[in-house]
Amino acid sequence: MKLSRRMVLKGLGGTMLSLPFLEGLMPRTARAADSGARPYAIFFRQANGVASAQTTSELGAEPERFWPRTLGALTAESIAGRAVGVLDDHRAHLLLVRNVNMKDYNYGDGHARGAMQGLTARGPVVEGAGGGSESGGESIDHRIGRELNPQQRDSLVFYAGRRGGWLGGPCLSYRSSNVRRAALHDPWNAYQTMIGGPGGLTPEAREQLLVRQRSVNDLVKAQLQALQQRPELSASDHERLDLHLSNVRDLEVALSCRMRADQELLLQQQAPGYDSTDGTEVLATARLHMDIAVMAIACGTNRAAVIQVGNGNDGDTRYRDPGTGQLMENFHYVSHRRSSHDASGGIITGSDLLHHHVDVQFASAFKHLLDRLVAYQMPDGKRLIEHGVAVWYNDLGNGPAHSARDVPFVLAGSCNGFLKQGVYVAASGGGNPNHNRMLNTIGTAVGLKNAAGGNLDDFGDPALTKGVLSELIA
Amino acid sequence: MPRMRSQRLSREPVERGRWWRPVVLGLVLSGAAGCEGTISNPEGPGGGPGPGTPTVIEKPAPSVRMARLTHVQWTNSVQELLRLDAPPTPLAGTFRADPAQSGFLFDNDARALSVDEALWGAYQRAAAELAGQVTTDATKLARLLPPSAATSEERARAFVESFGRRAHRRPLTSEEVESYLGLYRKGPQAYADMAAFEGGIRLVLEAFLQSPHFLYRVEQSTQAVQDRVPLDDYEVASRLSYGLWSAMPDDALFAAASEGTLHSREGVATQARRMLQDARSNKVVEAFHRTLFDVPRYAAIRPSLTRYPQVSERLGEHAARETTLFVQDVVFSRKGGYSDLLTSPATFVNDELARVYGLSGTFTADFVPVTLDSRERKGVLTQVGFLAAHATSVDPDPIHRGVFVSERIICRKIGAPPANIPPLPAPQGRTNREVVASHTEAPGSACASCHSNLINPLGFPFENFDAIGGYRTTDNGHPVDASSTPNINGERVPVRDALDLADALAANESVHACYAQHWVEYLHGRPLSHEDGPLVERLGKRSKAGNLSIVDLVVEVVTSEGFVNRHPEELP
Repeated sequence: MKLSRRMVLKGLGGTMLSLPFLEGLMPRTARAADSGARPYAIFFRQANGVASAQTTSELGAEPERFWPRTLGALTAESIAGRAVGVLDDHRAHLLLVRNVNMKDYNYGDGHARGAMQGLTARGPVVEGAGGGSESGGESIDHRIGRELNPQQRDSLVFYAGRRGGWLGGPCLSYRSSNVRRAALHDPWNAYQTMIGGPGGLTPEAREQLLVRQRSVNDLVKAQLQALQQRPELSASDHERLDLHLSNVRDLEVALSCRMRADQELLLQQQAPGYDSTDGTEVLATARLHMDIAVMAIACGTNRAAVIQVGNGNDGDTRYRDPGTGQLMENFHYVSHRRSSHDASGGIITGSDLLHHHVDVQFASAFKHLLDRLVAYQMPDGKRLIEHGVAVWYNDLGNGPAHSARDVPFVLAGSCNGFLKQGVYVAASGGGNPNHNRMLNTIGTAVGLKNAAGGNLDDFGDPALTKGVLSELIA
Repeated sequence: MPRMRSQRLSREPVERGRWWRPVVLGLVLSGAAGCEGTISNPEGPGGGPGPGTPTVIEKPAPSVRMARLTHVQWTNSVQELLRLDAPPTPLAGTFRADPAQSGFLFDNDARALSVDEALWGAYQRAAAELAGQVTTDATKLARLLPPSAATSEERARAFVESFGRRAHRRPLTSEEVESYLGLYRKGPQAYADMAAFEGGIRLVLEAFLQSPHFLYRVEQSTQAVQDRVPLDDYEVASRLSYGLWSAMPDDALFAAASEGTLHSREGVATQARRMLQDARSNKVVEAFHRTLFDVPRYAAIRPSLTRYPQVSERLGEHAARETTLFVQDVVFSRKGGYSDLLTSPATFVNDELARVYGLSGTFTADFVPVTLDSRERKGVLTQVGFLAAHATSVDPDPIHRGVFVSERIICRKIGAPPANIPPLPAPQGRTNREVVASHTEAPGSACASCHSNLINPLGFPFENFDAIGGYRTTDNGHPVDASSTPNINGERVPVRDALDLADALAANESVHACYAQHWVEYLHGRPLSHEDGPLVERLGKRSKAGNLSIVDLVVEVVTSEGFVNRHPEELP
């Protein structure tokens, strides 16, 4: 990062006050020297399955409300009226994949199985632990960050929704087996993490801060290194010290990639509603997280992000019924079609349609992400959406049955032409687990390799069939 | 010079031999295969109990050497360190939450507490903010500074030594003093708009607050004596203060460490008893029981206001307050033991809870002490919080009540249920118990192996309590049957109702050992290890016998061999 770019960005921003804050940072040619077309992946996770065609004991035959009508090229007609129809503006960038099947690992809970396998393609550390589960491997976002990010920075992990709850709230990203990662919750704190320093400072104050922090960092680094050298430390202690030390870095990033002051103020004002059960506020928070993630990617400071909405079963969030304007029952109840977190509650009339309404709201949030990615014109003349891939995915195939099969994956962006675009395909593999190959495909698209330097094909559980989903590759 | 990593002798095993009688820890007993296990970490420190290899001597378990402060500990430590009037809670509120760590009940598993990019940035911002607050306020700064000296440099040195001893929670080495002084000398450049001395102190404060020696409890002792590594007095002081207060040592504890009085069991016990009389320990005791009794779950209490018009949407909030007052009363006012938590009918109510309990008289929004009808209520498991938090909006939930008792009170883990469980059938004139039993106890079914033997017998005794915890004698027009024969750690105990169950639990040694186990885990910040077995068993025996209050139990844990020594081997 060149410090001088700060002034360029500031100048650009000053001309675009009326636009949402991301547009104020459009890098254009200012980024030519240090960006390139580096692919990225942003994962946007929804819980509880989708309102696809299914037969439930509660409501009987439920119609298809999520997927397009036909496989093949996406058309306005094929997606009209379906949840994915919300994305019509971005149809040319979409790659919709069905028949993605997770493995039915014994997590002891369908939500844990989906959430903790979702980005890791791994089974549980302890089988049958239900809400006490942890995944047995690193997640793909972390792998991307560890191998491809500048300074090996961690991928960005965001969480929108009421803190805590089922599976402890954030539950997608893993540093390694049994080592779950924390998530950024408050968008303002997330932003400050992304920029690597405090927001709300004048340029002069930031310069002074950089000098001061460098002095303190030198002392802290020396202390950490001295501790690292103590022979009695265990591997556990070393791992945590290594992580700590890796994050004691100087603040050039903070001075190079940030919003204008008025945009920072706007973000601060919007941020306080993040710890909410109101679905409108929760998804508004997710949109702010998307803005921050896109900004980090546009600036080249990160190449992977995860945005999780709601806890393990999104059981605290109540989305709004667009028909009545009222808050529905919590999403987990709606997805079960019953007024309970298990099978004991009364049937919620019309809950399949309510589930569809939630799907549409997630689709709208995903559209916001795509809108942002399209808004960035990159130095190579392409839009940022073309450089990487945004992935809207789910923990489950459906709600009532908690199916591990046919888990929705909606991809947008080709990773510089690597992935097919504008089509709806069925993943290969029959009914067998192939979700690990989906993650391998995304990893390959972003630039990860296997040990031999070829396509990433061995991410996840080594017991699963290796490889990528070639039918997704252009 | 204070004692640091001195030739401190371990308490001799022969001395400990008077404290307990070796017996195999009996938490694992027979039950339905596939449903249960003890609540411990098989991959935890020490590798878990090995079959047929009972540990017979109390000794330390492997633990981390670098235990990062929890956010609560950070908040309390900063307040104490900077001598602030109020805790910097808003700043700690900007810290990202630590991730959940499965298999451990509490939030202080040291293996899971790390400093990632987000937290490091938040620490940096907090340090800058706090240092600015203190050094730009003469009154606040005066609380920290030593008396004037001949030169500013001398005064700064004195500050680094005195403040550093508290920040690092041990005396600084000469090299450390010099490194902080080097930073002090950069003050004029770092804060050109401040007086040189204050600017230097500000930069030094920022560094102390970002130092790993502040952010972690660092244990550096390595000299083994026999089969353990005695902690030095400052390390013991930190274990005590963070265990009993979730805060750094106070001046008295530092003085005790400096004088070497934490070298003896008596010295540690003296400090522990002093600390347990301080209000800071109340918060720790409250936090422990909030987690143990799953009080956060009370927030989800949502009874049908149609079915139960006598309660409000604040029932869960009021129940949580009751639990807090009840625990504080038993532990501190009555100096009670675990049996009192399980069996005491004395509690605290406001007007809403009084209605649920069927109390006559005038009540207001204020909580007042009452004694409930001992023919209906005994202990925390018969109070509104537990009962209403384990209920649907209209009916009691014997399944989850039973699972809770099994896992939290008996330390017997229940395996997760299979997926796609069909819903409970309609009552069709039956009692809630009959519906649950018909659905879960069909002979030969997969459900029955767990429900018939382990879960339902611990849940059905609470059928006298409805979904808000109100007492009832009939259900759906039929007399309530609350009798059962639960398996309490291998012993089949016939009970007529929840009162009998409370008595049976209080009379069971392993139940008391389970409670001691939770305390050991909480005070150490790690899962139970097999080395803890003899201590847990000893405390279980004494607690059950009625001669060990909860305060005494805590003192026993923090004066135990495992608390003041390290294991000679590190974690894997």
